Amino acid sequence: MVESKQQWKAWIYLAPAIVLLLIFTVWPIINTVRMALLENYSGLKAAGGATFNFGIGNFEKVITYRRFVQCMKNTVLLCVFTVPISTLLALLIAVALHSIKPLQKALQTIFFLPYVTNSIAIGMVFAAMFNIVGSFFGTENELIVTAGIINNVIEFFGGKAVNWINYGSTYTANMFVMIVYIVWNALPFKILILLGGLTGINKQYYEAAKVDSTPRARVLWRITVPLLSPMLAYVIITGFIGGFKEYTSIVGIFGERMGPASDSGRMNTMVGFIYDSLSNNNQGRASAAALILFGIILIVTLINLQVSKKRVHY
Amino acid sequence: MKKLISMLLVLMMVLSCASALADLTTDGYDGSAVTITFYHIINKDNQLEVLNNAIAEFNKEYPNITVNAENAGSYNDILKRISEEINGGNQPNITFCYADHVAEYNKAGAVQTLDELINNPVVGLSDEQKADFVEGYYNEGMSFGDGLMYTLPFYKSTEVLYYDATFFAANGLTVPTTWDEVEEVCAKIKEIDPKSIPLGYDSEGNWFITMTEQYGSDYTSATEPHYLFDNDTNKAFVKKFNEWYQKGYVTTAGLYGAYTSGLFTSTDETRCYMCIGSSAGATYQRPKKGDDGNYPFEVGIATIPQVDPANRKVISQGPSVCIFKKSNPQEVLASWLFVKYLTTNTDFQANFGMQSGYMPAIKSVLNNADFQAYLAKADGGDNIAMLSMKVGMDQTDAYYTSPVFEGSSVARNQVTALMTKCLGLTENVDAEIDAAFQDAIDECEYAN
Amino acid sequence: MSQKSIDIMHARDLRKTTLKQNIFKVLGLGGVYLFLFIMALIVLFPFYWMLISSVKSLTEYRAQVPTLWPRIIMLGNYVEAFTAANLGRLFLNTLYVGLVSTLLSLFITIITTFAFARLEFKGKNLLFGALLATMMIPGELFTITNYITVSDFGWINTYTVLIVPFLVSVFYIYLLRQNFMQIPSELYLAAKVDGTSDWKYLWKVMVPLALPTLISITILKMMGSWNSYIWPRLVANDEAHRLVTNGLRNAFTDTSGDVNYPVQMAAVALVSAPLFLVFVFLRKYIMAGVSRSGIKG
Repeated sequence: MVESKQQWKAWIYLAPAIVLLLIFTVWPIINTVRMALLENYSGLKAAGGATFNFGIGNFEKVITYRRFVQCMKNTVLLCVFTVPISTLLALLIAVALHSIKPLQKALQTIFFLPYVTNSIAIGMVFAAMFNIVGSFFGTENELIVTAGIINNVIEFFGGKAVNWINYGSTYTANMFVMIVYIVWNALPFKILILLGGLTGINKQYYEAAKVDSTPRARVLWRITVPLLSPMLAYVIITGFIGGFKEYTSIVGIFGERMGPASDSGRMNTMVGFIYDSLSNNNQGRASAAALILFGIILIVTLINLQVSKKRVHY
Repeated sequence: MKKLISMLLVLMMVLSCASALADLTTDGYDGSAVTITFYHIINKDNQLEVLNNAIAEFNKEYPNITVNAENAGSYNDILKRISEEINGGNQPNITFCYADHVAEYNKAGAVQTLDELINNPVVGLSDEQKADFVEGYYNEGMSFGDGLMYTLPFYKSTEVLYYDATFFAANGLTVPTTWDEVEEVCAKIKEIDPKSIPLGYDSEGNWFITMTEQYGSDYTSATEPHYLFDNDTNKAFVKKFNEWYQKGYVTTAGLYGAYTSGLFTSTDETRCYMCIGSSAGATYQRPKKGDDGNYPFEVGIATIPQVDPANRKVISQGPSVCIFKKSNPQEVLASWLFVKYLTTNTDFQANFGMQSGYMPAIKSVLNNADFQAYLAKADGGDNIAMLSMKVGMDQTDAYYTSPVFEGSSVARNQVTALMTKCLGLTENVDAEIDAAFQDAIDECEYAN
Repeated sequence: MSQKSIDIMHARDLRKTTLKQNIFKVLGLGGVYLFLFIMALIVLFPFYWMLISSVKSLTEYRAQVPTLWPRIIMLGNYVEAFTAANLGRLFLNTLYVGLVSTLLSLFITIITTFAFARLEFKGKNLLFGALLATMMIPGELFTITNYITVSDFGWINTYTVLIVPFLVSVFYIYLLRQNFMQIPSELYLAAKVDGTSDWKYLWKVMVPLALPTLISITILKMMGSWNSYIWPRLVANDEAHRLVTNGLRNAFTDTSGDVNYPVQMAAVALVSAPLFLVFVFLRKYIMAGVSRSGIKG
């Protein structure tokens, strides 16, 4: 009796959310699957009364795209580099912030700043910092008008200017810029979560370590990291999910060309591919690509969860 | 009861048919109250004022037509938004458009063909009005491969050659009219000023497409097979410009990392002495005034170099307007009347041109006294906008239009990437050029 | 050796080690500060660049050798940004949409989370797992279908379309659930025995206890409304309903596609300022909310 009463009561509490989710989340997912299975489905053509064959043609088209592997490689590389780097940096910063008293609040605020700004505008700023204005790099006619502030700094310390994102730049240089930008962007959220976790850790653990005069590094690895492991797992998983959806950051640096002028599309990602298909009004192909992406993210998340199950200490 | 309902239903059907009875090819606007929406990208106050005045004038004649003119962001914003809106059936009545956009909207068959409206005896265009349009602009509306008219030109720009008139005069150089002459002039400039890059070209895509037109080689076709640009003539000119780049004669916005107008207006050591860019961007091609209040050099403007001066070809750019189909024919007729007003009214076209620096779509603006006075002021300094408009309007006979089809925008993006990539090649140039052409074709084919 | 001298030596050793420890401690602390300062500089630099760009003239912004400090400070850029983008109206629109959607969103999040955290029903875990899975889907896909849905509802160019489709956030439900779960179930059972209704218990006991998390959610949601761009541009881009970010972009795109960057930067700085202030003053709540939520991740 009580059981069943609670049953329907629970559904009443859930009703508003479920109705909204059905309309604005579930239906779009179903529709996505539908569009993915209609060959070369285009919303505009459908509005014009065209019909489409049912089949897996969209998936074939996506997988056989000659740049598909490149898009995958970029996405995976970005994840593999940015997630550990940003997590480690965020951990160090959070621990450092947690261990100081004076200036703590001011520094905290500074580290959260990237969180409250418009990423489009900041992308523009980053591009300007790395952009070289000039021509004929690496030839005898080489000419550099503006090396960009980053190169100015390198040259100030006696280094040689690097062609970061312009014509003829290397893939490594491009990747480096992307990693710096994405890490910069990802830091505040991770610091926020990890610092939150640190304030929740019972001080007694540290008192015990103090008595034993355990070295700092050891305290970090043996006490802090295990106690923070749920938070770390959380930021790593969300980091991977975000990393697989990377797109706007690349537009921010390279523009819609998605690569240096000498090789447009070189830095394109899975989501970039989806957007390209969407802007050609080929929603069928975009949906197929999105489902493939979803599958990949699902697998990676499951692996992550499996690993963290073994490693996360409560 | 049942009878009553069925009678009502019949009545409703008859009524709804009656309102749909107006025939676009023969009937005029019946004066009923309609609201039409117009998407544009105009955001400068002085230009909006001209537009709003025009709407007020238009409403004196047609008080029942309410025009909602809305700034809908950039061209890309408009394209994306309308592509979505068509799915819901609530696209605007009129929009600013590029020809490639119309190809997208046409996937849904959403664009109203203008032929029946143009030839409509009540509201159509007179022969005089038709002839008043700059021919090249007018023909753009018919570049969709089916011979039908989809757009009318609103205002336009073209590419012109900006040059440092002071430098040219001081060194006794003549302004090149052909590409062969460009090569000679570049060689001379390099001798005079080895640190310079004599020529800057802002748009790689325009460069490639214009060259195919000037050579008469193939680029694309509105019918299958669409992508024809992989041919020897095109490879040859790409190779030639690659050599120019290697000699330090030329650079482009993509290769340089910024608009080359910056290099042209620079007073630093490294600079360009010639720059090919949009006629509407003349004020960006003018150097900053020095401390003495004078411009460091005078800008000259000429038509762009040609392969064959007897067969001139230049690109035309800038927005057209198209009308969307609507279930209420009165809305379509009202939209047409407004489009007709904006594109054929000499005063509006002249005023808008003077406020924006874009070239009017009709020739009769030249009879407008204000416009004449405006053009007469043209010089290479304060009044550079007038000069570029004047030069631009001198090459109206040379406009070409590229075929428009589903995928023509992809082709343009691909040749832009191809041209940029190939200019800077240093090793295995021939093989790399071949590969780049093949890549571009593959990408085009894939997108369809 | 006498016991005494051994004691003395031992004490000396002890003193030595504490001295050594202190030196390390000072050095360590110095290192920590150095590290934080360097990182802070890296984080701050783009903002510095944005701010100085916002007071440059267009020609100086385009200068070939960038200036680290503007030659002429053009505060007029800010005035131009405010008037050109009609920022006053945009701020009001955004504030309205932000407030209403935050309130509704909080309400729905609270009652949904309550069901997940305290009530028992069939398929609870399955449903919650399914909810979490939706977080992984690229958001662009929702846009395509949702656009058609809202235009079928006739919601284009209304406030409704800016508020309703995003009221349910799985992320907030997740965040709040962590918090609700930590409230001891003994409290709930005791309340049941007292005859307190679920509804009353939720609002009188659980909500006050979860206040820091709720404040965090409020701030996140407000920030989301403030920064949202793609959806509002699509569905409500008329003068009456336009939001801040769209207004920004529309106002500074020239007809020739050229942008007055310094004025745009000024506008971006103006738009970021309210968020920044919110962050500075409410940081405590954000921290508290997050720290409570994740412990049992």
